[in-house]
Amino acid sequence: MSAPPVPPVPAETVPLPGQTPARQAVRAPARRPADRTGAPGRDDLLRQDDYGRALLGSLMRAQLGATVSVLGPAILLLALYPLLAVLVPSLARDQVAGIPLTLLVLGGGIYPPLVVLGFWYVRRAERVERRFGELLDDR
Amino acid sequence: MTAPLSVGAVVLITVATAVIGMRGMRVARTPADFMVAARQVPPLLNASAISGEYLSAASFLGIAGLAMLDGLGALWYAVGYAAGYLVLLATVAAPLRRFGAYTIPDFAEGRLASPRLRRWATVMVLVICGFYLIPQFNGAGITLQATLGGPYWVGVVVLGVVVTAGIASGGMKGITVVQAFLYWIKVTAIAVPAIVLVLAVAHPPLGSVDGPAPASFAHTTVVRFPDTTRVDVARPVTVVASGTVDGGRANGALTLHPGNHTVAAGTSLRFPAGSAAPAVSSATGSGSSWSSPLLRLDGGRGHPLAATYGVLLATVFGAMGLPHILVRFYTNRDGQAARRTTAFVLLLVSTFYLFPAVFAVLGRMEAPALYLTGQTDSVVLALPRIMVAGLGGELLAALVAAGAFAAFLSTSSGLLIAMAGALSHDIMGRGVRAFRLSALVLGMLVTVAGLLVASVPINVLVGWAFAVAASSFCPLLLLGIWWPRLTRVGAMWGLALGGGASSLAVVASLAGFGSSGWPALLLGEPAIWTVPVAFAAMVVGSLLTPGAVPANLTDLLVTMHLPERLRRGTAGGAVQRG
Repeated sequence: MSAPPVPPVPAETVPLPGQTPARQAVRAPARRPADRTGAPGRDDLLRQDDYGRALLGSLMRAQLGATVSVLGPAILLLALYPLLAVLVPSLARDQVAGIPLTLLVLGGGIYPPLVVLGFWYVRRAERVERRFGELLDDR
Repeated sequence: MTAPLSVGAVVLITVATAVIGMRGMRVARTPADFMVAARQVPPLLNASAISGEYLSAASFLGIAGLAMLDGLGALWYAVGYAAGYLVLLATVAAPLRRFGAYTIPDFAEGRLASPRLRRWATVMVLVICGFYLIPQFNGAGITLQATLGGPYWVGVVVLGVVVTAGIASGGMKGITVVQAFLYWIKVTAIAVPAIVLVLAVAHPPLGSVDGPAPASFAHTTVVRFPDTTRVDVARPVTVVASGTVDGGRANGALTLHPGNHTVAAGTSLRFPAGSAAPAVSSATGSGSSWSSPLLRLDGGRGHPLAATYGVLLATVFGAMGLPHILVRFYTNRDGQAARRTTAFVLLLVSTFYLFPAVFAVLGRMEAPALYLTGQTDSVVLALPRIMVAGLGGELLAALVAAGAFAAFLSTSSGLLIAMAGALSHDIMGRGVRAFRLSALVLGMLVTVAGLLVASVPINVLVGWAFAVAASSFCPLLLLGIWWPRLTRVGAMWGLALGGGASSLAVVASLAGFGSSGWPALLLGEPAIWTVPVAFAAMVVGSLLTPGAVPANLTDLLVTMHLPERLRRGTAGGAVQRG
């Protein structure tokens, strides 16, 4: 399941996805502006400082999590079947109920899991965004 | 062979498309209307339109034809064409819509702040659309040839005139509805004949398809040879010949003895019912290699696993890089609607791909004449009349002819719009007049190119367009959306190396370089190495030029990733095209 976007703790440098996080000390959130009550707000996203970047990074990471959890199984499915066909050559001759297995898999069976993964991704991505919205609205 | 019903069906589809398109033109008033339909297109309608534009001659004719010719492994093309939408959905659908980019050059310029990169992207748009358009015209030529029996050029010219005139006079507004309409025509036109042929018409059991190949003629069959062909006869057969066989005039009964025979162009041979069909050197040999789940292009090529992965890489990552598809995402209300639309596209496209395999399998058993004449790409068109006699066969044949023409009309109009849009906006100066002129010039150029392409399988040509897209725009979009450190320098390196290498490989392959072994694979399936090269070039180029990261990077990332609902109060809004 996806980790909800966590309100990030302001730190010295918070990496964006793709950057290697550097070892860093965790400090109390002392650098927030005084008018803030605790939860992050929309304006923080556009601030060119570490806090804004961290907030945006947490949204992107949560989205990317949903992406990976859907594309991972799909890519395994597509990449492993040809490999299986090399390792088990009898797949080319096998039949199920008088129909060639290749016709059943490539001509039909491989599509339902792809479609299910697609609709599942839509739900997950919308949930990630809803949670992030709740986080921002909580001020 | 005249087929009045099929001709009527093709005319009907063309007229219906033109009428719906004209009505749309009257609604469009400003250049903005002209270029992009109103944003409020509901997801299912939009998904039908995207699917309508996507399912081309390759899907309607090419997949069945290539699977019949080279084996069921060619169905990986269809799997990849569908799976490409899952990747598109999970990586770029919502962020691209939120960014507000209307074309890929818009995205390139907006995301990386470089007008120069924009021009490079425009060139890639023209290259990819060009590679993709030519096989559509090829398919139209084959279709009218198969239904009318006339020369190849008729279909090419008809499609060229209809599409060019339609685009130069119409606009996107009408086309959204037209494309949606054409999707439903296409899926009906392939599903109904496939279901009827499998369930209601007598045919050998599907399991016997991997028997010795090729099959025997079920009925008395007249085979017309459009090109000079060498055939290999296994068992003596007496045919009724008209033309030139083995260098001598042949008229009347002729016994072909076992061995090789040369049949001259224009010759027709009548085979008696039940006789074994002679083999042609290009057809795949034994049964189990035909039903292997690995791709064996040209009946082998030696590296089936690598070829399969090459096609998968090209199709799965190429779908997002097709310039004519991205425009459609702009007509979604917001990022969430773009995601829902894409999921429906995956469903609609997958539904369509359940049917081409049926034609490949039945065609292998029932239509061996197509192997002899090298016309396997027309199996979808020819099979109904071969398997069903009388009016039933004519009706089914008319239905598939209509569906095939729907495929050429929808894809080629979408591609021509994308090309004309890119050319007029970035090179010829903006405005409706430049757009119309671009459409006219490009339409004529591509029609001429369509006349020139030889008998390359449709699906192989389209696969190359995907390979180029996967090696250029796919890394640009993926890295541009998810990797903050991408720079304009890195993007240019990637477009130049990936797009350039894949285009050159395709041209070399077309020119006949690399006929066997690894050279054939690396030139024929370039995606397997050009996609990694493009990604690597973008990453290395960007890491070497950290100073070229755009100054407003945070704004850009927020615009792409923050849901519209939360956007009020931030500066993020649709990036307007310049």
